[in-house]
Amino acid sequence: MGSTAITVDKLTKRFPAPGSAEKFTVLHDISLTVEEGQFVSIVGPSGCGKSTLLNVIAGIESADGGAVTIHPRAGRSVAAPRIGYVFQSPRLLNWLTVESNIHFVLEAQNVPRARWRERVTKNLEMVGLAGQERNYPLNLSGGMQQRVAIARALAIEPDILLMDEPFSHLDAITARKMRFDLMDILQRAKPTILFVTHDLAEAVFLSDSIYMMSTKPARIFKRVTIDLPRPRKPDDAALFDREKTLVREFFSVVEANG
Amino acid sequence: MAKTGRRTFWASLSRALPALLTFAACIAGWQIISLFYLPIFFPGPAVLVERMVAVYGDPASYVVIGETLARIFEGFAASMVIGTALGLLMGLRRSIEIFFDSWIMVLLTFPAVCWAFLTVLWFGLSQAAAIVTIVLIVFPFVAMNIWAGTKAIEKDLVEMGRVYKAGRRLMLRNVLIPQLLPYIFSSLRIALSLSWKIALVAEAFGASSGVGQKLVNWFQETRVDMMLAWGVSFMVIMVLIDLVVFRAWARRAFAWRPRLAA
Repeated sequence: MGSTAITVDKLTKRFPAPGSAEKFTVLHDISLTVEEGQFVSIVGPSGCGKSTLLNVIAGIESADGGAVTIHPRAGRSVAAPRIGYVFQSPRLLNWLTVESNIHFVLEAQNVPRARWRERVTKNLEMVGLAGQERNYPLNLSGGMQQRVAIARALAIEPDILLMDEPFSHLDAITARKMRFDLMDILQRAKPTILFVTHDLAEAVFLSDSIYMMSTKPARIFKRVTIDLPRPRKPDDAALFDREKTLVREFFSVVEANG
Repeated sequence: MAKTGRRTFWASLSRALPALLTFAACIAGWQIISLFYLPIFFPGPAVLVERMVAVYGDPASYVVIGETLARIFEGFAASMVIGTALGLLMGLRRSIEIFFDSWIMVLLTFPAVCWAFLTVLWFGLSQAAAIVTIVLIVFPFVAMNIWAGTKAIEKDLVEMGRVYKAGRRLMLRNVLIPQLLPYIFSSLRIALSLSWKIALVAEAFGASSGVGQKLVNWFQETRVDMMLAWGVSFMVIMVLIDLVVFRAWARRAFAWRPRLAA
């Protein structure tokens, strides 16, 4: 129904191997598409190159082959798609207030100053941190800092939002609450999300579709659609069934690869 | 309210008592030893205070001090600007780092006295000689320190800035400089203390005015008491600058850090 937001076509990435002239292949022939307004996850074991894939899509690492295209939302400039990024750790500028951290990305993306106040208020409220504008990040808990990072990413009204295991550094209870709140935020902000995780349960709970990645060689071996209605409950039996099937499939592929 | 105020006063006094006692003992010991020598060779604290009153009671002294202070601050400011710029460039550009790596060491190890002589030969007995001497000696320390600071910059934050397409100035202002601030503050203090020491040496060698030249005059008359009277005051000025300007500034700049102690 929607138009395409991200196209990755036969992407290859190599890194120089330490102590040898040869390069080893991190990503081999990766192709994927993300539809506008969809929540798409990439699931794979640690070290399979998921983060590298996100970095290439974000444009901070170059590809050795293939192409990444980001299609801006209707009415936006094609030349400079806006990319929001939520990292594993919050990566906030601790010497700036919560508000100034958001101003930093707004200034970087040339959002007119007149809109800053409204963007800050709206997005802090969305992540449940209304009133924390003047506080410093180090006075906030880890979960709250990650909420600021999410507000920062949403504040630029991104064409695509990349999330790299954003809840993996949080304790299980906080992470569960954050996932739940993220669903709620998405109902309102409706961004296009490419989400990387090694946690299948998390991916099944959050995603519209999932790309499954294996390592050695790093490639995508399956795309699954999770067509369960929203809002979802984490203890829903249907979600659990889906997860079980996918885990089984995962292990069969990983074992077949040795 | 007044009662608790008095109690904290006595409490802080009793805490400071050992320090005060040792200080008093030192002054007393100094005074006693000085009684065995001529005041112009080894002046006691009483004589020193007397001489300082003589020096600082004379308005002409402030012209001399003003000249030296002007040289110190010009040399200090130039060293900070050049040193910080070079340190940053070395930290952020690999090619510049490779080029200056050994030159910084050469400059750091070059004897200060050589610079003092050389600048007199090159610039004559002038204002410039003292300032250039300060800059040549101080800026490598600053550059070295800032360069070390760039090694401690968190790559993760730089990457964050790049993902959001922050421009160079925005990155410098909000990502790089704040992380270098501890190094900038330590550079300020090193540079100021070095600048004032070198200013006096440079003046002693090559200036026809300033505190350094006064020291030389009194040295030629073997008047230790007068040399100390001139020197001590400068120590006071520099410590005051450090306490009032740098520390207060640092306290404000690091307000974002949660306090360690409750």
